[in-house]
Amino acid sequence: MTNTIQILAIEKTGKEISLQKEYKNKSIKIVDGYFFSKKLNEENFNKISKLISNKVSQKILTKNNIDKVLSGYSNFDWVVEIKFLPGVTDNIATTVKEIIKDNLKNSFRNFQLGSTKIILIKGKKQEIMNISKNESNPLIQTIKFYSFKTYLKSFKKNQFNLQQVKLAKKKYIKKEINLNISDENLSLIGKLGIKEHDKSRRGTLGLDLESLKAIRNYFKKTKRKPSDVEIETIAQTWSEHCKHKIFSAEIDDIKEGIFRKYIKGATEKIIKLRKDNFCISLFTDNAGGIEFNKDWIICHKVETHNTPSALDPFGGAITGIVGVNRDCLGFGKGAKPIANTYAYYLSFPNKNYQLFRQKYNDPMLPANFIAKGIISGVRVGGNCSGIPTPQGNIYFDDRFAGKPLVFCGTVGLIPKKIKGKLAHKKKANPGDIILMVGGRVGKDGIHGATFSSEELDPNSPVSAVQIGDPITQKKMSDVIIRELRNKNMYSSITDNGAGGLSSSIGEMAKESGGFEVNLEKVPIKYDGLYPWEIWVSESQERMTLAIPPSNVKKVIKLFNLRGVEATIVGKFIKKEKAIVKYNNTEILNLDMEFLHEGYPKLKLKTALPKIKIKKKKKFKRFSLIEKFHKLLSSPNISSKEFVATQYDHEVQASSIIKPLQGEGRVFGDATAVKPLFDDNKSIALSQAAYPQYTETNPYQMAACSIDTAFKNLIVSGANLKKIAVLDNFCWCSSDDPERLYQLKESAKACYDYAVAYKTPFISGKDSMYNDFKGYNKSGKPVKISIPPTLLISSIGIVDKISYLTKITPDVGDELFVLGKNYNELKDSEYEKIFGTGNNKIPTVYAKEALKTYSNYVRANKLKIFNSAIGVDLGGIGVAISKMAIASKKGLIINLKSIKNSSIEEFLFSQSQSRIIVSIKKINVKKFKKIFNTSSYINIGKCISSDTIEFVDIKKIFKIKVSDLEKSYKQKIKGL
Amino acid sequence: MRVLVLSGYGINCEDETLHAFEVVGFKGNIVHINDLIENPKKLDNYQVFAIPGGFSYGDDTGSGNAMAKKIMINLYDQILKFVSKDKLTIGICNGCQILVNLGLVPGIHSKDPEIAMIENTSGIYQCRWINVKVNNKKSPWLKNISKLNLPVAHQEGQFMIPTKILKMIKDNNLIGLQYINDKNQLANGEFPFNPNGSIEDIAALTSKNGNVLALMPHPERAFYHHHIPYWQNNPAKKYADGYKIFFNAKKYFE
Repeated sequence: MTNTIQILAIEKTGKEISLQKEYKNKSIKIVDGYFFSKKLNEENFNKISKLISNKVSQKILTKNNIDKVLSGYSNFDWVVEIKFLPGVTDNIATTVKEIIKDNLKNSFRNFQLGSTKIILIKGKKQEIMNISKNESNPLIQTIKFYSFKTYLKSFKKNQFNLQQVKLAKKKYIKKEINLNISDENLSLIGKLGIKEHDKSRRGTLGLDLESLKAIRNYFKKTKRKPSDVEIETIAQTWSEHCKHKIFSAEIDDIKEGIFRKYIKGATEKIIKLRKDNFCISLFTDNAGGIEFNKDWIICHKVETHNTPSALDPFGGAITGIVGVNRDCLGFGKGAKPIANTYAYYLSFPNKNYQLFRQKYNDPMLPANFIAKGIISGVRVGGNCSGIPTPQGNIYFDDRFAGKPLVFCGTVGLIPKKIKGKLAHKKKANPGDIILMVGGRVGKDGIHGATFSSEELDPNSPVSAVQIGDPITQKKMSDVIIRELRNKNMYSSITDNGAGGLSSSIGEMAKESGGFEVNLEKVPIKYDGLYPWEIWVSESQERMTLAIPPSNVKKVIKLFNLRGVEATIVGKFIKKEKAIVKYNNTEILNLDMEFLHEGYPKLKLKTALPKIKIKKKKKFKRFSLIEKFHKLLSSPNISSKEFVATQYDHEVQASSIIKPLQGEGRVFGDATAVKPLFDDNKSIALSQAAYPQYTETNPYQMAACSIDTAFKNLIVSGANLKKIAVLDNFCWCSSDDPERLYQLKESAKACYDYAVAYKTPFISGKDSMYNDFKGYNKSGKPVKISIPPTLLISSIGIVDKISYLTKITPDVGDELFVLGKNYNELKDSEYEKIFGTGNNKIPTVYAKEALKTYSNYVRANKLKIFNSAIGVDLGGIGVAISKMAIASKKGLIINLKSIKNSSIEEFLFSQSQSRIIVSIKKINVKKFKKIFNTSSYINIGKCISSDTIEFVDIKKIFKIKVSDLEKSYKQKIKGL
Repeated sequence: MRVLVLSGYGINCEDETLHAFEVVGFKGNIVHINDLIENPKKLDNYQVFAIPGGFSYGDDTGSGNAMAKKIMINLYDQILKFVSKDKLTIGICNGCQILVNLGLVPGIHSKDPEIAMIENTSGIYQCRWINVKVNNKKSPWLKNISKLNLPVAHQEGQFMIPTKILKMIKDNNLIGLQYINDKNQLANGEFPFNPNGSIEDIAALTSKNGNVLALMPHPERAFYHHHIPYWQNNPAKKYADGYKIFFNAKKYFE
């Protein structure tokens, strides 16, 4: 009898090889461990271990063979055992349970199971401690390390144990909360949460005093005390995450708030100006929808998952990507996710920031652990879901050391009509059944708490972080998109994200009036959950559907047949009431109006930021050639090929402009997918953000983001009139009037430039407090705030395959720069590396830019360009280098005719709205005719050689393209 | 000519796989594995059985293992019957991993697979375009093809084959495809030409009669000319290399 199965990988696995490389230690072996809550007899042990192993590549360890098998490798000294804390999603365990259920039927059941990584290693204790620290996260995993001898002893004596979730028996179903208390105590409820019987607090509700007073007044009128469930629900519904209070607040003289005036205001104005059917569903749904062709709509949504990714980078990122996939599944009647996007803003992975959440205690995860975890999380989430992830970027800055920014986006596809009904419209009707489908509910994500690992009781489930389960979601999504949607089996659908059921049902009930839920029906992961926890839990992979009663049986049967759980949890009603019961005890009864609109509206003031003078650092001097190499190998400019190749961008057979472009595999600014086999239209995707400009000029920062995101699509071949944008504001210290000033300025630019380009905002999201408050290694308090970042994501339609461009010139092509250089070097990559620059950050001249873009589109339709690339970080110098590297060809660049610029300003200024094109000689005349009134210069041509030759008046600089390629493809240190 | 394309539990390339078959002239259906389990006789109505790519059960317990175990206890006899007839079977990527775990390639037909698919030597998922040469030209799937440019996208694409079995595979000419380098020679394990470190640069295996093809690269993603990386250099062409494999299936039944 034993309660573990342990399986050794005979041959070197990839993980083993990478560990060996990373720690320069050849003596590492990995054992997959499966710890059971129940003992296995010999028969079951043999059956199960055979089912979950491969006899060619693995060896099942037993008491009888372990000495012999392991002695065949090396003399191990240590063993590191990494397993999930109780309650953390363990996808491997789920699969093993299913295999056992399928194959052993009822002969072995009612057991818990945990998967475990066991690393056998030879080496010094310190080294092993390092490995265990680097390969695990104490917030979600327990790490044990012990001597190899102890391991063998434990194995033979069967001393491995599975930590299971054990919750104390529920003490109450609901709790009445007395709000008739002093302001001070009332504030404490908001800050620390509701007090339990043992005086402990549940964790922050994020409610300020004014909000709590509004709640008190409401219940005064109802003449009863609120229940804990009601307070928790109101806190969720009124949270910044759900209500975007800052964006809707009155700010200075803007009564309607930033969102209404600048974002929604821009779109409304644009719709009036455009007079077409491009905009279909904006701001009201989980994603924004635009017209793709006469039969189809595409939708796009971008989310952030910053705090969860700081705590558990892998879990935070995978939850981010599968979460935003659900926003598409929940768009209209359900859109099929057809492309993912990503953008990461990180601290430098080779640096050691040594930050602590508490004095000398509770360290932040190392920068490289965070970066690697985020990259892997999106990889597993995207790849396992069968959704291509072509488009993304990564940017590094020290100020992201306290909080990484993780943007995850998804594009969805949905027919305009399903069985004659508009598919982007949905309405839960009174009487419709509320069906929860997908995963089960646990303590995941409750309060998104930030408590440290030390506070965790070893048997308490981890609630701060979630790990996505893309396969459960894929099974659910297949049923919805492939089978149910097209039969019109449900009347409304939305996803369970922040706030869980309280939010999804609460939002959908606006369509019918109200709802009645029987919470005891909700399937749970483990016993002992309090009703309020079930109601607000953010357990992943769940959708909520509104189903006409006559379809319910059929729908549940279909979900079950596909291995997906589906449970009736209540019904939608006409009365505008929110009602929740638990075993017939009413635990929540609120007016819908109060729940959604009862929060006190904020009034905000802004203040012009004081000018901060940065200390000047000393910089080394470099030659022009060295400067090229330094720039191209700097992490913000160098290739992100290692990410592009681990994200499947070919699945769905839709990839048409790939992330790696040209034979030289240059990481592109925009990508495109062709989603329908029978239509030659493509969707071009890009994004841009310039956090480096915010402190200097937040208005131009936003202008640059919009311009670049727009320009990248124009360059790739998109229709000038069919580009939409999304805004994701990630701000810091949003209670600070100076930060609010920057916010207002950037939102104002959003209005001005979106209207100028007639590109509507179709969806957006904001995350307002990206600050880290903690301590440095010497125990000094520090606050690190992210530079306010506005990510603009762009989505556009390319009407014909032949309009799609490439970045590779051919020999003989003439090179032209379209658009003007204004010698803008401040906060540029050049200035960051070499210290010298000037006082100007880029200014976007919309009128001029539009002229360039519309002429470009005209010329591109006539196939006048042979290749094209946008000018962005590193200016013309970097753009032409990329052209040369991508095409593996040489260039001659003429510096003789430069006017009003130094060579550095000419080559490295980051002035906006510029495109470099290469044109076959025979097309130059046609080109000049189209561009006769807009600004362009001829800078050289493409030659057959391995050099870029810069021809100056006095001398010629030569740079080898193959050397530049090496610099460009240098590994980012620490990754 | 009818093709059954399997789906469910994380398989995700069913649409593009069916599309490729339809374009060359097949009629077909995407069938959820649980529907097939409810009615295994369904399979008799088809000439081609295709297991597309994806991430069945998230690759947990080894890519393709869990799905293979599900097929074994529910559908194994039916599938053995299918492959013993004059019909064609293809497994692409995750489908290849499933066929290997079912023991259908190299076709020893024992319930214990004699070979394994393990993680890429790079330890990282690889999505990239590679070149392969056709080794077993007798397989109906690979007739009249010498070389193919296709994408791979996998975490566990490395064939691991014990010496004895490898000899048998070679003696019977069951290596379907092999990775080659930029000089059209065998990649000899060199990354990135061989993207996963596969022994003998193996990218695909076939059954003895060649009717079962298990390949790691994705022909359905290299179907149209605009699928390939530098299609703009020669924009007039219509189809890419992957087309040839599906076209061969059609030819076989004509």
